[in-house]
Amino acid sequence: MKLRAKFKKDGDLRYISHLDLMRTIERAMRRAQIKFSLSKGFNPHPLISFGPALSMGAATHGDYFDVVIEGKIEPERFKRDLNKTLPNGLEIIDCYIVDDKDLLSDKVKEAEYTVDVYLMSYVIDLPDEIKRFLGRDEILIEKESKSGIKIIDLKNYILDFKMIEAKGSKITLYVKLKISEGSPGPTYVVKALDDFLGHVFDMEKILIDRRNLILN
Amino acid sequence: MSDLKNKIDDLLMKVNKPARYTGGEINSVTKDVNKVKIRFAFAFPDVYEVGMSHLGLKILYSLMNERDDTYCERVFAPWVDMESLMRERDIPLFSLETKTPLNMFDVIGFTLQYELSYTNILNMLDLSKIPVRSKDRKGYPLVIAGGPCAVNPAPLSDVVDLFVIGDGEEIINEILDLVISCKKDNVPKEELLRRASKIQGAYVPSLYVETYNDDNTIKSIKPVEDGIPVVIKRRIVKDLDKTYHPDKQIVPFINIVHDRIVLEVFRGCTRGCRFCQAGMIYRPVRERSKETLIELADKLIKSTGYEEISLTSLSTCDYSQIESLVYDLIEKYKDMGTGVALPSTRIDAFSVNLLNEIQKVRKTGLTLAPEAGTQRLRDVINKGVTEEDLVNSTKEAFKAGWKSVKLYFMLGLPTETMEDVKGISDLAHLVADVYKDVNGTTRGLKITVSTSTFVPKPFTPFQWYPQDDMESIINKQNYLKELLRGKIFSYNWHEPNMSFLEAVISKGDRKVGQAIIKAWESGCKFDGWDEQFKFDKWLEAFESIGVDPKFYAYKKRDFDEVFPWDIVDVGVRKDYLKREYKKAIEGRLTGDCRLYCTGCGIKDLDEGVVCFEA
Repeated sequence: MKLRAKFKKDGDLRYISHLDLMRTIERAMRRAQIKFSLSKGFNPHPLISFGPALSMGAATHGDYFDVVIEGKIEPERFKRDLNKTLPNGLEIIDCYIVDDKDLLSDKVKEAEYTVDVYLMSYVIDLPDEIKRFLGRDEILIEKESKSGIKIIDLKNYILDFKMIEAKGSKITLYVKLKISEGSPGPTYVVKALDDFLGHVFDMEKILIDRRNLILN
Repeated sequence: MSDLKNKIDDLLMKVNKPARYTGGEINSVTKDVNKVKIRFAFAFPDVYEVGMSHLGLKILYSLMNERDDTYCERVFAPWVDMESLMRERDIPLFSLETKTPLNMFDVIGFTLQYELSYTNILNMLDLSKIPVRSKDRKGYPLVIAGGPCAVNPAPLSDVVDLFVIGDGEEIINEILDLVISCKKDNVPKEELLRRASKIQGAYVPSLYVETYNDDNTIKSIKPVEDGIPVVIKRRIVKDLDKTYHPDKQIVPFINIVHDRIVLEVFRGCTRGCRFCQAGMIYRPVRERSKETLIELADKLIKSTGYEEISLTSLSTCDYSQIESLVYDLIEKYKDMGTGVALPSTRIDAFSVNLLNEIQKVRKTGLTLAPEAGTQRLRDVINKGVTEEDLVNSTKEAFKAGWKSVKLYFMLGLPTETMEDVKGISDLAHLVADVYKDVNGTTRGLKITVSTSTFVPKPFTPFQWYPQDDMESIINKQNYLKELLRGKIFSYNWHEPNMSFLEAVISKGDRKVGQAIIKAWESGCKFDGWDEQFKFDKWLEAFESIGVDPKFYAYKKRDFDEVFPWDIVDVGVRKDYLKREYKKAIEGRLTGDCRLYCTGCGIKDLDEGVVCFEA
């Protein structure tokens, strides 16, 4: 049977990579004595698949992984048992059975983020500036990809972008993005805004939280 | 404290592998610091991934934290990117568990695994604003050190307050008890150290003086006052089966060097290879029973969730019940995808059968260590392995489907000639022929030949023998590069300057210790890392204190010469080492002491020391 688990990752676990995360969950399942299926071949590995990788330093409150289980286990039990063996900073928040043919990679279409940034100089009306930023015909940026640097238009990806809170110099932004092969993350959006505003943010102190992956 | 945590947090996005500095791993220990009597920092003078792979840390961390009155935390050398940010922002070196600055601990315990990590010890102290010389440390934490390199404590004698010689788990509780009682009674550090010096296995260098002859050899190492032991007897765990082995191990988030469960099946080695310091200083062989190991393995697998368990020792295939142990573990855990690993492999068909068993769960590499290229030289070093062994074992391995082999050798062994060097290449070609016999072609075959440079070590039969000089080593390496051409071979070699420095420090005296401090002051650290190693700074450091490093590495020693490490008695007697030296030069073998006693003297070290009896 195949389970889909929704999880959060924050605190110091923001500093572990996608590969580290995969190993951490695999080992936690072994500690919980959850019997997952193994691949065939020379180096058997668990049949687990994750959604799009989070960048180093980012938190999430709504990512998913799929895992194929030997035999049967109640999703509630899976969640309860695994939460006992996961390290602080990782938690399963939901779990349900999906069809064996259901692939996580086909389901992930959009993601919502909050981004905390710090202002280095005063901006009179940031919400209005964001509207001006989005009002342009195109927002071209350079994005690194496997095949080198490519020019892409952020407008093809941004579904929503606004300021949701300002506390002193700390600004919290909300970004909703389309997810597809090679799509840009929220850092590109914030950096493009920063360029547009003439460098007002401390880009070294940017804190990303993927609030939710939206599945269709 | 939380203020420091925030300051550290601000750095983490700017450095490589930030999880090196966060802690919080599964099975790391959290305690209320106000409810313990003593805070101990286990300090490993290298990066997290190296230190976390170390068995001694796992044992002592768990053992000390079993005590309600003690909290042991971990601290590692920050990599250079982190260090420079810490210095820039005035952030002291901190423990992973509670982010406490190192200078707030009662005891800092360094482990000495490798001579080229000594500058990191100085750097770690300095990063916590702790003076590097023990004489300048009134009111600072007690700095202790143990581990294999502590058998020659001389080079760090000005730095370390107290050395621990031998098995740490045997002595650490006595040290902790002493520190707790001295802390309670406000006993000053000098008096604490004087009391400590009476514990067997403890060496307090400030209570001894090293004097020299005109030719720079050691005249004597003597206590400065009465009542202090004139020789430090190594501490030995007598019954390993009844001795503490952790049933939990920390599970790091990031990939460490040995990222698996480490289960110690026995300590010591009976092979008697004459170059091998570990084989001499960890005597006698002490095994854990199979029942104990199976029970520990089960607890470790359940508490860590690791996908692999490594059966570790100096020569695991020599374990008396190795076959059934491996078989039982594989059967029990294969459904979970948990495999078994053997770290060092003996060269015979029996080991390959074991590897075949292991491979059913997880494919492992085949690594064999003939150490020398010709039978003559293998006899000199007492490596009881023949060409036939190598042929048979690789044949079995190739039949079983292996396609790549790693062969380990040493260059610069005593009496080595160019003929012996050529023998290394000959063996590699022979293995290629074996592959061709089995598969009809050399397609798919990969043979990696690695050579390290022989470093003569204290307490080995070769402690009197000079190291081969750097130029000669470079010639030999170039010769092998010529001989090992072709697609199927790849050749790795070790930086000869580093091996030279390793020889100087491992056989060094207190004067070498001055050079270590000098080298660190001029910016040396992480000397075991190619990209950080600054050989010219080291040479300048030796020059500035007027010490010739070649004296330590290249001088042929007299049999009656006093060594800096003669203050330590590891149990293996000097006359045995001399006998082995002479037999080496004559090319005569000494048998495995599981078969008969070779008279090394270990049984006389202490009451209750029992050798393995077959």
